[in-house]
Amino acid sequence: MRNKSSKIRSTISIRVLQVVVAITFIILLGRVIQLQLIEYDTYSPISQRNSIRQEFISPARGLVYDRHGQLIVDNQPTFTITITPINFNREIIPLLSDITGDTPEEIEERLLTARRYSWHRSSRLFTEVTFEVFSKIQENLWRMPGIGHQIEGIRNYPATVNGSHIFGYLREVNLNEIERNPAYRLGDKAGRSGIEQTYEDFLRGELGTQYVTVNAFGQEINQFDAGRHNEPPLKGSDIHTALDIELQSLAENLMKGKVGGLVAMDPNTGGILAMVSSPDFDINMLAGRIDAEYWRQVNSDSLTPLFNRAITSIQPPGSTFKPMMGLIGMEMNIITPQTTVFCSGGYYRGRLYRCTAEHGNQNLEQSIKNSCNTYYFWMMNHIAQRGGINVWKDMVDDFGLGDRTGIDIPNETRGIIPDSSYFNRAFGVNRWGIGDLINLGVGQGAMGASPLQMAVATSVIANGGYRVQPHIVSSISHADGSSEFHGTTKERIEWIKPGPLSLVQRGMRAAVTDGSGRFYANLRDVEVAGKTGTAQNPHGENHGWFIAYAPYDDPKIAIAVLIEQGGYGSTSAAPIAGLLMEQFFYGEIRRPWIIDQVIRKPPAPSAAPATTTPTIQATTD
Amino acid sequence: MNWYRQIDWITFLTWLFISALGLVAIYSATQGPLHQGTHIQGNFTKQLLYICIGIVVLIILHFTAPRTFQQISYLGYGFALLLSFATIFLGVEVSGERNWLPVFGFRLQTSEFLKVATILAVANYLTSRRENQAGTFRTAITATLMLFIPVILILIQSDTGTALVFMALIPIMLLWSGVPYGLCLLMVSPVIIGYLTVIDYVWGLLAAVLITATFFFLEKRPLLTFGTFLASIIIVIGVQVGLHDVLQPHQRSRIEAFANPALDPRGAGWNVMQAKTAIGSGGIYGKGFMQGTQTQLRFLPEQSTDFIFCVIGEEGGLISTSLVLILLALLLMRLLGQAAAHKHPFAQLFIVGACSIYLIHVVINLGSAMGLMPVIGLPLPFLSYGGSSFLANTIMLGICMNFYYHQRDFSIYS
Repeated sequence: MRNKSSKIRSTISIRVLQVVVAITFIILLGRVIQLQLIEYDTYSPISQRNSIRQEFISPARGLVYDRHGQLIVDNQPTFTITITPINFNREIIPLLSDITGDTPEEIEERLLTARRYSWHRSSRLFTEVTFEVFSKIQENLWRMPGIGHQIEGIRNYPATVNGSHIFGYLREVNLNEIERNPAYRLGDKAGRSGIEQTYEDFLRGELGTQYVTVNAFGQEINQFDAGRHNEPPLKGSDIHTALDIELQSLAENLMKGKVGGLVAMDPNTGGILAMVSSPDFDINMLAGRIDAEYWRQVNSDSLTPLFNRAITSIQPPGSTFKPMMGLIGMEMNIITPQTTVFCSGGYYRGRLYRCTAEHGNQNLEQSIKNSCNTYYFWMMNHIAQRGGINVWKDMVDDFGLGDRTGIDIPNETRGIIPDSSYFNRAFGVNRWGIGDLINLGVGQGAMGASPLQMAVATSVIANGGYRVQPHIVSSISHADGSSEFHGTTKERIEWIKPGPLSLVQRGMRAAVTDGSGRFYANLRDVEVAGKTGTAQNPHGENHGWFIAYAPYDDPKIAIAVLIEQGGYGSTSAAPIAGLLMEQFFYGEIRRPWIIDQVIRKPPAPSAAPATTTPTIQATTD
Repeated sequence: MNWYRQIDWITFLTWLFISALGLVAIYSATQGPLHQGTHIQGNFTKQLLYICIGIVVLIILHFTAPRTFQQISYLGYGFALLLSFATIFLGVEVSGERNWLPVFGFRLQTSEFLKVATILAVANYLTSRRENQAGTFRTAITATLMLFIPVILILIQSDTGTALVFMALIPIMLLWSGVPYGLCLLMVSPVIIGYLTVIDYVWGLLAAVLITATFFFLEKRPLLTFGTFLASIIIVIGVQVGLHDVLQPHQRSRIEAFANPALDPRGAGWNVMQAKTAIGSGGIYGKGFMQGTQTQLRFLPEQSTDFIFCVIGEEGGLISTSLVLILLALLLMRLLGQAAAHKHPFAQLFIVGACSIYLIHVVINLGSAMGLMPVIGLPLPFLSYGGSSFLANTIMLGICMNFYYHQRDFSIYS
């Protein structure tokens, strides 16, 4: 009934279909073999990369302690949003912008920066977000591939001190630094001043890595291979400073509203007990995400708060230089203990070099006590006449002036102590003479020193002629428990003999008991030795200096205070040193009215230039 | 002969084996720790239930007289069309496709059952028109229409994959309606040329030349051959223009991503890339049951349905994937062999139709999963999770087995 051709036709059709089936399955089988056998090496790593994410764990930065073991710098947890550009999808920028409150353009820009750093590594997108934003991100993480979050630490200053110039601030590293040092990642912060900069390599610690398994939404599931490949971060080394936090705190309060610098140190070890530069900046404001407004304000302030006057200010030391001059004069055989110079109110050499009073006959001890200029003009004249300027300079340098002391915070200045080549450079060969040198005898003219340098010089006199290395950090304890100690080198200055030294020391003691320091620096129970100074300032009010150490026979503290445009050293700088001595020895202030007086004193009226040109004319008290 | 000897045990066991493999893969894809608490967690037990129902269905179908299928074919076709029509209005939308009809708490994918009803009806129609040689052209038109109405209904439900299955059925079924071979080739040629043009228009042109040559060889009509060639070139140009000027960017990106998935691995090419990675990273022996990172960490999309083969590939390796391919090939070859041996044209046509549907599903599903073609969501027969598709496929298989079981008494009349 069915016709034959139709029967054949359907059989052929089925055979054709069978061939098609066979070919299809051979193709499919071939494709499977291609993928699983030949291209296995291509796809296996892709699958691993897919599901395993390398994450970095920032180490906790090292802590900072004062000499009594009190914590002064630690870390505070903050919330950070991270981004891995390769996994990030631009389409979620609006969502991200909704959550964080930043504009899409800003996110776009940060994304570009992150890409420039690395497509595959995670970098910080936003730091220090609020907890609210952080938890919102956490909730929406599944919708935002490439976005991550972590908890990090920012610097926190639990003690009552500011210490901005000592500790220094941190700022984010730039791309160049990242290229140079593989320890840094984008968004990492590094110390930019103070001990944070000097001890950056110790404080930083070592980055940890962990490998986590993630799902397709970028959510972490667990530690890859039970965490066997993880490397925990290594905490930064803790730093123990020589600072005395109570003293530092008081010093900062006393220096408020003034322009100047202050250094208190242990004259036997060189450990810095307190260091203040005023005006300073609020270090807490620079601890986290830097407030641009505040940063601009700090940077453009004419009083330059970022500038550490304690180590960078160069001012003529004025009369505080006289004790050193006494020692040099003795060593150069210009004076003996018996030498007296008659002061008739000035010294005439080509012109009149004024003294503050008619002191009459003065020996060395009296000249220090009364701060007689004539005595030192006369001495300097003799040094100059002998062509001794270069010998003089070498000796002054031995006190720590004229060169960097090598303290462990950056940007210290050398100061100026002139020699003949300096004058040749400054004035021209044979275009300078004795007239340019005589002022140097009273710490005026072409010389300048920082409070730190003066503190070191004071220490030399106090400790019996030893050069000490000033330092903030006394020891570093590493995360593994080991410690290393820093900066206690002590070098005897050979030419300083005990005899002359005790004369000078007696003079400095007398200056405090009977001289210009008697009003504020003379403590009842501790024997203080010191010297005031008033450096002539052609641009405004004179700069006030005071150097001191105590106790007189067994010194424990040496202080140098500089108050720019503060007027007389005896009324501007000496009270501050006196109060610090009280705090240091008694642990309390016994003359609180002096505090009122110091703090009430009106601040310097106008901006003081960072360095004043050394002046030729002398006015000292 | 004993009754149980007439049962096609090989087909049954192959079916059971494939279904069991699918069940294992579904277990792995739904019971991992990351799937805890998600809605797909219940898929394993449901699929187990479907397999049990499938066994019952197979048994029941063996007790049915073969003629019954012929008798109810038009009625079934009409009913299935009605259901499909109802789905357009009453259907529930799942991931963009409005092809689920809620019935007694279940969600029925009506298009799956429409496939069974359609090939039954078309097979019946073509069988009845067999002797009527004069009406070949009319027969072809009617049969084409019978296949084309479902295409429209399903396209309205925006289920492109299933619509494609019906379209591909047209030339295959027409082979039996007495339409010349050349015409059948002409009907599939746009798909082949279009596909190749998407990859690269050079390939498209090459296919156009080859198809024209084959057409000339089959039909020996120069004018028609020239027309064919012209039409092929128009298709190449049309696809090229369509790709660049007509399609929306997101549509174009999806098509282009298929041609080069690495171009945007996170965007349009994501699924393909992840699927290929899953299979490729499985290697020869696989990563082990429940050990596939692509699967367990949910990098693989639609892993219990459209990409079930990737789960098998990743966790079971080349050993498992080739086993699945061999089993499927075995099933199809065996069924087609039975069709060739069968004396009744209705049975022949139905088996061929069923095999074609299986084959198209396999090609599209595996082609998508292995990056041989754009991703089109179609289940892999017997392996993918899904009650409607599994049961519809099992019913088709049951009918084929029924024809084998009853082939002696069935073949007597016509």
